Amino acid sequence: MSAIFPKWTNRLPVMIITGTLLTGTAVVAGMWYYLTPKYSRVGYQPVQPVAFSHATHAGQLGLDCRYCHNAVERSWYSNIPASSTCMNCHNQVLKDDPRLELVRQSAQSGRPIPWVQIHRVPDFVYFNHSVHVGRGISCVECHGPVNRMEEVYHFQPLSMTFCLDCHRNPAAKVRPPDKVTDLDWKWSDDPEENARLQKANGEKMVRDWKVESLQNCSACHR
Amino acid sequence: MSATARDKEQIGPETRGPKTAGATTAAPGSCVRPQESSPVYWRSLDELARTAQFRQWIGGEFPQGVGEWADPVSRRQFLRLMSASLLLAGAGFAGNGCRRPVERAEPFGKMPEDYAHGVPRYYATAMPAHGSAVPLVVKSNDGRPTKIEGNKLHPDSNGGTDRFAQASILDLYDPDRAARFARGGNTCNAEAAYDFLAEVGRKARQNRGQGLCFLVERNNSPSRARLRKSLGDQCPQARWHVYDPVDLDIHRRAATLAFAKPVQPYWQLDKANVVVSLDCDFLGSEGDVHNHIRRFSQRRRLEKTEDSPIRLYIAEGLMSVTGFNADHRLRLPGSAGAPLAAALAAGVLDAVWNRAGGAAAGPPVAALAAEVRKLGGSNLEALAKAAGVGAQWMAEWIGACAKDLAANPGRSLVVAGYRQPLEAHLLVHFMNAALGNLGQTVSFRPAPEADEGGLPELARALDAGEVETLVVLGGNPVYTAPADLDWAKTQRRARTVVRLGYIEDETFPVCDWHLPAAHYLESWGDARTSDGTLVSIQPLIAPLFGGLTELEVLARIGGAQATDPYGIARETFAGLCGSVPVEAAWRKFLHDGFLANSAAQPVQVSLNAAAVAEGLARVKQLSPLSKDRLEVIFHRDYSLDDGRHNNNGWLQELPDPVTKIVWDNVVLMSRQTALELGLKNSDRVEVKLGERIVRGPIWVQPGMADYSVGLALGYGRRQTGRVGRNAGFDVYPLRTTANQNIALGATVRAAGGACAISCTQNHWSVEGRPIVREADLDHYRQHPDFAKEPDAEMEELPVVAPLYPNPFDQLKRKGLHQWGMSIDLNRCVGCSACMLACQSENNVPIVGKDQVARGREMHWLRIDRYYVGRPRAAKAGPQGGESFFDTFRTEAEQQFERWIEDPQVVTQPMPCQHCEAAPCENVCPVNATSHDQEGLNVMAYNRCVGTRYCSNNCPYKVRHFNFFDFNKRPVGQFYLGPFGHRPDDEWDLIKMIKNPDVTVRMRGVMEKCTFCIQRIEQAKIAQKDRAGASGDVVVPTDSFTTACAQACPAEAIVFGNLNDPKSRVSRLKKLDRDYTVLKALLTKPRTTYLARVRNPNRAMPETEGTR
Repeated sequence: MSAIFPKWTNRLPVMIITGTLLTGTAVVAGMWYYLTPKYSRVGYQPVQPVAFSHATHAGQLGLDCRYCHNAVERSWYSNIPASSTCMNCHNQVLKDDPRLELVRQSAQSGRPIPWVQIHRVPDFVYFNHSVHVGRGISCVECHGPVNRMEEVYHFQPLSMTFCLDCHRNPAAKVRPPDKVTDLDWKWSDDPEENARLQKANGEKMVRDWKVESLQNCSACHR
Repeated sequence: MSATARDKEQIGPETRGPKTAGATTAAPGSCVRPQESSPVYWRSLDELARTAQFRQWIGGEFPQGVGEWADPVSRRQFLRLMSASLLLAGAGFAGNGCRRPVERAEPFGKMPEDYAHGVPRYYATAMPAHGSAVPLVVKSNDGRPTKIEGNKLHPDSNGGTDRFAQASILDLYDPDRAARFARGGNTCNAEAAYDFLAEVGRKARQNRGQGLCFLVERNNSPSRARLRKSLGDQCPQARWHVYDPVDLDIHRRAATLAFAKPVQPYWQLDKANVVVSLDCDFLGSEGDVHNHIRRFSQRRRLEKTEDSPIRLYIAEGLMSVTGFNADHRLRLPGSAGAPLAAALAAGVLDAVWNRAGGAAAGPPVAALAAEVRKLGGSNLEALAKAAGVGAQWMAEWIGACAKDLAANPGRSLVVAGYRQPLEAHLLVHFMNAALGNLGQTVSFRPAPEADEGGLPELARALDAGEVETLVVLGGNPVYTAPADLDWAKTQRRARTVVRLGYIEDETFPVCDWHLPAAHYLESWGDARTSDGTLVSIQPLIAPLFGGLTELEVLARIGGAQATDPYGIARETFAGLCGSVPVEAAWRKFLHDGFLANSAAQPVQVSLNAAAVAEGLARVKQLSPLSKDRLEVIFHRDYSLDDGRHNNNGWLQELPDPVTKIVWDNVVLMSRQTALELGLKNSDRVEVKLGERIVRGPIWVQPGMADYSVGLALGYGRRQTGRVGRNAGFDVYPLRTTANQNIALGATVRAAGGACAISCTQNHWSVEGRPIVREADLDHYRQHPDFAKEPDAEMEELPVVAPLYPNPFDQLKRKGLHQWGMSIDLNRCVGCSACMLACQSENNVPIVGKDQVARGREMHWLRIDRYYVGRPRAAKAGPQGGESFFDTFRTEAEQQFERWIEDPQVVTQPMPCQHCEAAPCENVCPVNATSHDQEGLNVMAYNRCVGTRYCSNNCPYKVRHFNFFDFNKRPVGQFYLGPFGHRPDDEWDLIKMIKNPDVTVRMRGVMEKCTFCIQRIEQAKIAQKDRAGASGDVVVPTDSFTTACAQACPAEAIVFGNLNDPKSRVSRLKKLDRDYTVLKALLTKPRTTYLARVRNPNRAMPETEGTR
């Protein structure tokens, strides 16, 4: 029988398989690295309509997180403050500063300031702030050192892995409830002592408070 | 090109690092830095276009600097330009390149007090319904109502609601609502309408109301009454007409006549041991159903063998929800109601005389005794024939029933339905008087004298040209008026017609002015519940389309200064509350939803013999029915009421509690009638009454009286919204003024063809499986554990224990709570309020008639209704000699079988059973369904890939698959997929009704009952918030419950924590009647049932051979 196919087609299957494997690996690796929350979300720092600096307000001035994000202890949603909250001080402080023009207009007209949402979990995740904030998880664990941010950026990936890492070991993250909004707080300045105290006290708190730290699907996915 | 280190510095992620105070800020990635403190992050190409570089750049064919990238300076420049072009290229990607789309978080400008997004608020209100009201508490999310519950605080409520209340929230968000003011069919503005109303009022006051007529629906709002009175004072010649196609006012009229006092009867079923119903569907279609169900079910509690549940007798033509729950049921055409009442009254007299002697019954009763006896005896033969039984049997039935009544003086109750004529009601009052029930099981409260006309009087006035201005408030008279009045023409005879309407429906073309009506959830007002308590109607949202309330229209016509309904309601309250200061009382009234101690006190009544005698004289001789002389019963549809909910998708898709048919009405008839007429299910027929004809499909209804035909009101509307179009056929054309409820002399013949009927349960029998366990009271007392006895058939399965240990047995030790549910089949009446509550709470979509026909209805909770063969017939075996493996039969075969003529009925709510050894969990290839440590079978929608193996494996078939993106695509356009179009107005409103705490599921995902996991989580989180830094994290006993359990007026569904010995559900699961459905499959469900126990009277003729 004469040859139907040219000789080079002998190498075709091997090339195809190798090529597919390599491409597949590359695609998977690329997606795994670039398209997961750790890469795609961390560092997201959009520019906000008003250049509000947490470093000034929460850090320098020492405002408690809950002064503005007042519903965080009652609701699943940690609210962005209404412009009228800003005006509580800014009707006297920097009263006519041009940077606050939008805030003043908003507080007067009632039209909201279109802040850019930074931290967001997908719609099929139901995260509740109040139960975390009220039970010893500090804002800094998920949102990072906001009191040192000029402009807020996404600090942690907030992926399911990230949530589970803490849910699998809550003792490593709980702290006394009154220290939840004290973002710079540590058990001790010495890192070894800090780790030891966190472990010991954390485990005690988890036991005493019967922290469930649920890992079943119904905890977050309804 | 290869990126250099410097380039990485500019574009790479590392530059998006923290900006510490005082450090120089780095450029955030590949975007142009906006101006310092500019209010908007630029994204628009306009801004980019303003830069000189860009203008220069677009001038040339190629980007400038393409050849210059060896030079470091211009390389930077090139990259800047390239990044700008990259942005241009990516302009299609939401205008900002391949970046994350910007999502906005927009808080308030001015913070409202005490508001937290994500925390729902609850307001008390009430739903006015056919002259009474249902007290409600409505949940509001972000300023819009999302879920309706009953008001537990109300003295006459246990927090349960009825079907209509649960579904009424969808009516609020109906995209086909009247959204505009219209004059002559054209849009006009509100001011013009207000001016016109003021003008009407002015003219009316000038000529003392001559020519001004009102046509309103029945309601007992004190504010409306007050406004009417003030209008009446100013315009004494104005006429007030009330029309309700379902006329429940007959109870008041009959009582007023019978007792010569303006009173309204109030049934207290929980005080009765024996109830006899004459065509009275008090559990399904009378007024105040939630109350009757509550009281009836209370007396059906059976926790020990010594308990004695209430016994119910019923004689009716149609199979009704009350018929489901009767211990003794007589199939009798509706027109035989009054003769039966007479016969029963005679029987009762005899029984009472025999027990206590004549004097005990009281003088009025004694005075009528002779007449009643005569009347009762005369019709016996005809009655027996109408019921299809022998005269002797009939006499025994009546006698035994009467004896049972007489054995419970003051603890029995006889009631007649709204369809029965006045004489039947008078006889019923007579019987209650003879039995000493007055003031005990039926109390009487003062009712306002009805100073109104009806529709025929208005028609006469219109025909005589006496009506200048006709104001129609609510209702849909062109659709619902009796056909002989020819209302479309008649109404046009008024000079001007103003109508306050909810939808631009059949009445719309016959109006000059059409004002949009406000839904009760948007209205201020008040009402009285049936016990007389004043309840508030509080809006949950401002009128979505600028609708008006009745009160406002009346106030404007009356020329009142204050026309806002809030002011009107408050003023009425100030007059009624009788306390000072009013403000505090008003706030409490709004908070609680009712005014304490405002219920009128019951009054003593005694029978007016003359009135009853007159009624007796009107009892007609029974004329025999035959296949050529049929009786037509017009009944209030269980879903659509009289047609007002025609455009409500949830109610259209709610399976009728009796027929389980959706999206259609049918001509109901008995097996015998269909046989004689040569018809079978779905055959299209013509029903002719006199000269009038309607056409529709027939349906053989088990348990229906022979030669009786049932026609449901509310379908076949010509001018309705997008949902109700082409649903069913209109029966109003057959209805005449003289025969609005029951008409005689109809004929039915085949009209050729068949109609497709979608029935969710066309399988009528239990087929021998131990799904529903029931027994009668004697058997239960002898074998209290009868429900737990293993079933003979199922025991043949070889499996007695599973092979592998269940991992959940370890896991459940970690749970703080263990959730479980108990459903009491004795208390469940089959009203289906739970189905709607679940649909409302969990964003369950509707699928339309076609998909239901394929078995794809999405109701997470369904109510299975089984017809059970006559006990003596079943003696030969579970199904009369047939075995478990006989052919599966649907109604296509069963409609011809004899046993369906007089069956007993059981209803069983069937939600996900949350099996501890769930067969659905093992087979999911992606582990989308798992078990949590508190016993719930949990569904993670985002994992589900749509294998449907879980539904395949579920023995209870409680899983539902979202085939066509039912939430997103409009009904009827599923097969078009993304090419289907849902109008924006519909979208906007549909979004508002969704519960934000529950996922809205997409195509390709399986869903099922979750035991309201969102409520469980809400309760657990609330408790943890309260606990804070303490271990007090167990949810308080019975502090919350699932939507179905909360809505159930019968308290049949009980949900709670099994770990807590004090919870109701723990207690109920310990009862001896508790059993598991399909226990032999060893699924170990968390939902168990309490077996049904009937309480038949041994002396009744049909109970030989009962198990």
